[in-house]
Parts: sequence; structure tokens; C-alpha cells
Amino acid sequence: MTISRRTVLGAGVVAPFATLPFLSRPARAQRASGILRFGLSAFPPNLQPWVSTGASAGTVKLMTHRSLVSYDSKGELRGEIAESWSIDAEGAWVFKLRQGCLFHNGEPVTADDVKWTIEQIAGEKSTAYMRTQFQDIERIEIPDPKTIRLVTKTPQATLPSWFANYNTFVIWRKSAANEPIGAGPFRLVGQERGTSLDLVAFDKFYKPGFPKLKGIKFVVYADENLRNAALQSGDVDIIEYVPWQSMAAVEADPRLKLDSVEGPFMDVLFNGSKPPFNDARVRRAIAHAVKRDDIVKAAFFGRGKPLEGVPIVEGTPWYDKDLARGWNYDPARAKALLAEAGFANGFQTTLLSTAQFGMHKDTAEVVQQHLAAIGIQCELQLPDWSTRVSRGIRGQYDMAIHGVSADNNDPDGLTVVLDTSLSPTHGRSFKVDAPRTIAALARGRAEFDQTKRVEIYKDMQRAALEEVPLVGLAWRSQGYGMDKGVKGFTNLPGALTTSSGAMLEETFFG
Amino acid sequence: MTGAWLAHRIATSLFMAWIVATIVFMALHLVPGDPAELLLSTGGISPDPASVAELREKLGLERPIMVQYGAFLGGLLRADLGTSLVDDYPVLSEIALRLPRTLEIIFAGTLLAIALGVPAGVYAALHRGGRFDRIASGVAALLLAIPVFVVGTLLVLLMAQTLRLMPAGGYVAFTQDPVLHLKLLALPAVAIGKGLAAVLFRMTRASMLDALANDYVRTAHAKGLAPGRVIFVHVLRNALNPVITVLGLHMGTLLGGTVLVEYVFNWPGLSTPLLRAVEARDYPMVVGIVLTISVMFLLINLIVEMLHATLDPRVTAR
Repeated sequence: MTISRRTVLGAGVVAPFATLPFLSRPARAQRASGILRFGLSAFPPNLQPWVSTGASAGTVKLMTHRSLVSYDSKGELRGEIAESWSIDAEGAWVFKLRQGCLFHNGEPVTADDVKWTIEQIAGEKSTAYMRTQFQDIERIEIPDPKTIRLVTKTPQATLPSWFANYNTFVIWRKSAANEPIGAGPFRLVGQERGTSLDLVAFDKFYKPGFPKLKGIKFVVYADENLRNAALQSGDVDIIEYVPWQSMAAVEADPRLKLDSVEGPFMDVLFNGSKPPFNDARVRRAIAHAVKRDDIVKAAFFGRGKPLEGVPIVEGTPWYDKDLARGWNYDPARAKALLAEAGFANGFQTTLLSTAQFGMHKDTAEVVQQHLAAIGIQCELQLPDWSTRVSRGIRGQYDMAIHGVSADNNDPDGLTVVLDTSLSPTHGRSFKVDAPRTIAALARGRAEFDQTKRVEIYKDMQRAALEEVPLVGLAWRSQGYGMDKGVKGFTNLPGALTTSSGAMLEETFFG
Repeated sequence: MTGAWLAHRIATSLFMAWIVATIVFMALHLVPGDPAELLLSTGGISPDPASVAELREKLGLERPIMVQYGAFLGGLLRADLGTSLVDDYPVLSEIALRLPRTLEIIFAGTLLAIALGVPAGVYAALHRGGRFDRIASGVAALLLAIPVFVVGTLLVLLMAQTLRLMPAGGYVAFTQDPVLHLKLLALPAVAIGKGLAAVLFRMTRASMLDALANDYVRTAHAKGLAPGRVIFVHVLRNALNPVITVLGLHMGTLLGGTVLVEYVFNWPGLSTPLLRAVEARDYPMVVGIVLTISVMFLLINLIVEMLHATLDPRVTAR
């Protein structure tokens, strides 16, 4: 038999079609099985219930654990292990525990477990995220097995929200050190290190009818474009952190939907330990010098909003239209402030950011341009993220760009970024003097009357606009992209967006 | 190849591995960034310094660097690469899990490159100057010029996002789902193999043309041997020697290429933990993985040298 060139070519044309059955995609096999495939942006470094290891780890932990409270789809606190909570006559917070809550090993959740958890978080050897706050709890009392009373050293109006943070889960008090046993709606049944985690529904979860899914498979796609490609090609049902440049494509795809909120924000931080940034007028000049629209366009593809004041979410009682524009773009005013501070001809300085995240670098470049326009020449410093963090904590910078979200939507959740008297971090200005802002934050935390709190936080905003512990630049959109068949999942509003994993217990295929 | 020569070569390789490990260990400790700080800073905001100090002590980072280095060398002698600072997982187990996957895409990419490059090179040489030769030479130049990550991204865009024929990326164990495993392997193998295919094509073509010009080819034809026999038995056998050498040399460079390919296709080989470990300043993990990669490089070199020594005894006499 002779093999002609035609035969070979013919075979080459036919072969790809012969392999098509091999290539065809399984048609929505997951939906029938009730397993949601979730595209995570990072594999959790660990799943320790009290140590902060990022929002992706938080999403997984929110599935396997529960705390006293959590957030509902509107971002309001709702009961979980605690049924109700209130403040008593002596100013202590009292939590009433729900009946019938079980840990994954079948043990009931008791007040002793809650007490033990709080003690562990506040412990001397603790590396817990909420350690500082929890150390304000002076005494934990258990008047009856279903009640727990927390006496704090200073008044704490927002204490219940501490327990909605995804680093404060209630753990069975007899858990082995490396095997924390929680009471969440799902159980972790397997993981492929660095790749995926498999969860199945916990059949004795305390809310009847929940979770609605049979399980969740978390698949990690560190590269944002690949994560988006996995959603578009049907490999996963839902992804977190839809890249801004892909949001329009997700919206345009008839099979997909996008749920985005303005939650995290970008800001400028200062090193206030030396001139010129120890002068509030210089900081204010910078606040008036940057045209925020350019950042929204350049760094976030228009998926965000200018932020010309203290980062308070619009639509909340704390928002004030005028204060929110207190640092409006006004280069003339910026120049006048600089002249007043003795820098009429500007000065040379450095701007620390990171090349590792495009949005940080792009934001820094826009800020650099606008500052140059008022005479401030910045040399950009763009090391990797680890170096950026290290230099931030040590105050080895003049100005820095940062992206962060508040702890929650209460203005007290901004303490972490505004209270410059707290220990130095890469996410707060270094040794910037802002006594009135800090005092107002403390007053707000100690006040329980809502009307008075609103006034206090307006004072806080006025103080911050003058003292400039940071400069707000832009709100950035944070979005979940999902198949239209995924129902019941809500992207929580504002700063709570990273806690949206809590909604997965209500998620189902429709 | 003498025993003494081999012992000398192995000793040199071990010495090189130790030098690499030491350089990586010291360099890592010199760059800014503190693992304890980073571990507790992932929430966007750092924890209080007391928590960081607590963790530093727990991780043994408070000890002087030479003490840490001594402990590292001691562990190395016991074949213990330590545990990850991030998640307390043994480095050796991580490598044992990941290395086979990295080798798998290198192996698949190499097979693909041989299957495409060598026959195409032979065909192009036999039809020198023809349409196939010109087109294939152009394609080979293009494949060499386009970076791996561009090819990878284009493949994902075309095959996964647009045609929805293949998964975008990821990994499933062969034992769990063989078909899906092969589907997930296909695109990374193409991305990693495309450059090598082009190299093999050019090498085979050139080497075949050289061999075809030899007198013995003319003699064979004159003897009346069947043309197929002349090409495949006499010419190809001689032409493949340099091709095999080039293949051996390029296997090492594929290791570097896998970093990008694994990232683009979310293939959980050695690259992902290496990148993550560098970001997190997870010293034992970085040193362990870099050491593994260098040992593999050295091993490939050693094997190539041994092959040379076997084929050409003059090598050991030098």
C-alpha cells in the first residue's frame, strides 16, 4: 500500500474532528450534583480561625465556621450562634445563645466554648487579628449556660461587629491545636494543596434548610485573567475579584452576571515623622492636587468612583454630601497651601507603591503626574509587595499609595486606617499627628446613641479633612462574576464585600 | 569513563548544589520583608507588634542568621529541608507532590516537540526550498520569537474562552479523571513544547542537509538501495546525533519556561509554591525548591557529560 500525500493531508483534516467527543465539555454536570465551583484568587496560606490570612481564606473560613453574629445581604448584623444581643444597665454586652447549635463533631456549642474562644484570641501568646480589641474585654461572665456577658474596660458601641469579622470564629474548646472544629454550614472534606478545596454541606447545621448547596469546590486561579477565562469558559460557576478590564465582558455575556460594589478604596499615606509631611498644610495641598477621575479611568477602567473625603460609604447615615467633597480637586488651592507652608516652589520627594499590583502602580503614576503639576516632584519607588509592606511598617518612605477596605461599614471600622496613634503598619500613615480625628473616633466608639454618633462622626470627618491622616483617592469596584443560574448570592455592600462568602449558605442553582 | 572521573564529576555537582543553596539562603535573608510580619499582614492592616514578635519567636526567626544557616545545613544532611513558615508543611513533601507535575509538562512538551519538529525537519530537508520548507521555516521562526506567556494566553483565549473546547486551566489528578487530566495537560504542553519543536525542526533540517551532502549517500544511491532505506537508515541515523545533543541541552531550559506556563495555565507544579514562597519570604520553601531545580539542572548536565564520555572516551582523558 502506498501512502500518498493526499491521504496524509486528508487524515490531518479528519483527525481533529475525530477527537471532538474527547474535547466536548460536560454540560453543566455540576449543577445537577449541587456542587458550586468557586474560583478563588489565592490558596489560603492556612485556615486558622483567628489569624488573618486574607479575604480568600476568609471566604473558605466563613463556610466552615460560625461566630456569634454575621452579616445579612443588606450588610446588617444578624444572629448566628447568638440569637440576640443587647447592652445592659452596667454597659456590658449580653449575648443570648441559640439552642441546638452543633460543632462538626456533634458537640453542642456552649457559652464555655465562646468564653474559651475569646480568651484564646485575647491571649498573651496570641497572633490573632482581633487580639488588641479583645484585650479590652475585662471580664467574661456566664450567668446561665445560654448567656454570655462581656464587661469591657472602655465603652464599646460596636463590639457585636467584632464577632462578624471572619477572624473571630467560635471553636470547640477541646479542639486539637491544629484541628479547630467549627460550627459552619459546610465541612472541609479534602484539599489539593495550592489547587482546590472540597466542602460538603454539614447536615446538622443549626438553620433548617441551609445550606442549600450540597457542596462547594473552591478552585484557585491566582492569575486574574485566567480566573475570568475559567468563568467565561464554564469551568467554574462563580469567581471573586473580577478584573476591572473584564467587567464589561462579563456584563455583556448572556450567560453571566456581575455583582459589583464600591468597597475598598485607594489612598495616599504619609510619613509624618519628618518634613515636609509633618505639616498638615502640605498633606492638604496634596489632597487638593489630585484629579481622582483620572485614577478611576486609568487604574480601574472606569469601575470605581472618585473619593474626595474620608472614606464613608454613600447612602449610610454617616455620609455627608459636603464633607465627602472636602478634598475636592483644586490645584490653585493646593498651590496656595504649599506656598503657605513655605514650599512655593514645590519640593522633591519619593512615592512608595508596588509594581506587583497594577492598580497600585497605576494609581501612583497618576498621583505623580498631578503632584508634578503643583511643583512636587516624586520619584516612584515600586518594589515587590513584601518589601512595600516591610518599608511601610518601618516608616521607610515619604509618601505611599495604599489600597484597603475598612473593617466594616460603621465609621469605627475606619479606625484601622485613621488612628495614627496605633502601632505602625503599612496601611496607615507613619507618625502623622491627627489628635482631633483620633479623639473623635474614640468618642464615637464610646457613644451608644445613634443620633449623637452621627454628629460625632461628622466632627471626625471635619477634623480629618484638616489633619489629613490620609488622602482618599478612589473607591474601587469589587465584583463577583457568576453564571446566571447561580441564585441567592449577594455581594455585601461597601467594606463588607470581602465577607460576602457568608452568603454562600443561601446560594443555590436556579 | 573511569570511576575516578565519575566520582570527581559527582563531587563537583554536589559542591555546586551547596554553593547554590548557600547563595539563595543568604540572599533571601538580605532582602527586606519579614515572614512573620507578612503572614499577619494579609488582612490589609498589620497586627500589633507583640503578635509579630510572638510569631517570629515561634518560627525561629529570632536566632542569628548563622545559627539558622547551621540548622539548615544540618537538616540538609539528614535530607530534611525544613517546614514552610507559612503553613507548617514539610518542604520535602511539597516538592515530592509538585515535582512530578512539573516533570510531566516538560516530558509532554518534549514528546510533542519531537513528534512535530523531527519529522517536519526531515521532510523540509528532503524538499529543500519547497513550499513546505519555506512555510515551516517561517512558522519555526515565529514560534521561537513569540514568548511562552503570549502563546499561553492566546491558547486560553481561543480554546477556552472563544471556542469553549478546552478548560482554561487547572489540574486534576490522572487517577481521578484521566480524560480531564489530559485535556488540562494539552495546552501547557503545547505552550512549553512550541519553542523546542522549532529548535528541533531547524536542527534536524540543517543536520539532514549536512548528512545528505555526504559521499556515502551518493554511494548508497548508486548501489541501488531503496530511497527510503537510504534516508531513514543511513542519513537520519547520522543526522540525529546533534539533534539529541541539542535536545539534552534544551531540557534544562524548559525548567525555566515552566514557571510561566504553570502560572498561565494554573498548573500546580513547582512554580506556584516558589512564587508564593518568594512573595511570603517563606525561606525554607524557596531554598528547598531552588535547590531541587538546581540539582535537576546539575543532574541533566551530569547525564549529558556521561553520555559524551561513553560515546567519546577522549572526554575523560582531558
